[in-house]
Amino acid sequence: MEKFGTYTVFELLIKYIKEGRIKLDKTKVSVKAAYHDPCNYGRKAQKLFGHGFFEEPRWILDQCLEDWVDLYPAKMGQFCCGGGGGTLVTGYDEERIFYGRKKMEQIREAGVTMIVVPCHSCHGQLNALKKRYEMEDLQIKYLWELVSDIMVLP
Amino acid sequence: MMKTDKIVEMGHPDCSCFGSLPYTRDYCITCGICSSSCPVSGVDGFDPRKVVRMVSFGMREEIVGSRWPWICTMCGKCENACPMDIDIPGIIRKIRSMRDRDHVPGILHKGLDTAIQTGNNLGLPQEDFTFILKDVGAEIAEEPGFENFSVPIDKMDANILTTIHNKLVNTHTDDLKHWWKIFYAAGEDWTVPSINWEGTNWGLFTGDDDRMKIMVGRIVENMERLQAKHLLWPE
Repeated sequence: MEKFGTYTVFELLIKYIKEGRIKLDKTKVSVKAAYHDPCNYGRKAQKLFGHGFFEEPRWILDQCLEDWVDLYPAKMGQFCCGGGGGTLVTGYDEERIFYGRKKMEQIREAGVTMIVVPCHSCHGQLNALKKRYEMEDLQIKYLWELVSDIMVLP
Repeated sequence: MMKTDKIVEMGHPDCSCFGSLPYTRDYCITCGICSSSCPVSGVDGFDPRKVVRMVSFGMREEIVGSRWPWICTMCGKCENACPMDIDIPGIIRKIRSMRDRDHVPGILHKGLDTAIQTGNNLGLPQEDFTFILKDVGAEIAEEPGFENFSVPIDKMDANILTTIHNKLVNTHTDDLKHWWKIFYAAGEDWTVPSINWEGTNWGLFTGDDDRMKIMVGRIVENMERLQAKHLLWPE
């Protein structure tokens, strides 16, 4: 028997927005952004649980931004940022920076100045990558940070 | 007709050291799609196909001692591309689990050790943790619109209990604020446990199932101790 329930970060944000408990103002952010699918929320969740969280974050982005695009490839075919599986703390730093080059190529191709992520590891890795791939102007944004940034208080 | 100079007698490779999981059987058709899909193929001679072949050949010592399983992120791109549906990330994690714990690279095992002993990867004492939370909470309360904000630590019967990523009470305390502000705006009834709040679980990465379960069990204990209704585990 279940003793307690759970929310994913997506479900909780969607609940707050749909129930009108938080109000968002799309005009607060005017940059072009893209969404990065973390492996564990996407492809691996699809394999393990039969449900990858692909549409939920995209619905949230629709509520937050006028102008956002998908990277190519995305969803099941996305590229890992290179910071997953504990690689941020193995000490093999050169390897993981090299690993991330494809992610940075994708972001560069998309022509965006903000990349939105719902994962702490991706966030850390992307910040390390942008320094090494001369993309210092790229903003790395937690999904919930974006929501919090454009929230309008009553 | 082509003449074969020499036939190498392989015998029957024994992969039993990797357990009885289906992937240890010889399902791999050696097509190499996994290696072509992998962003880290070629680094240090690594590619996923070689790993699968080495497992099939029972080359335990070579593969467990190599750093290949640790530069792979277990992202699953290879598995998604594989026409035989071989669980390559699962193979990698299994190989990681076979590494002597003292030789797990970096701070992965040491951090987990610290978490088992102290409740979090940093070894941060309870009073320091609650001080940081209250301090960051006081900063939020200074912002317009958040005047009544405070951090509900160990609140009983909350609707939501949230875990905390250790880096948010270490080098990235400002990133604690995003969720907290959302909770405030949404009028949420929430709480943070003062002990065993660690949201990361490095046993997942080192292949250490026993310790991974201990860490998960502690979160369940917090849910029961504080009678919280829902768990949010943003890590």
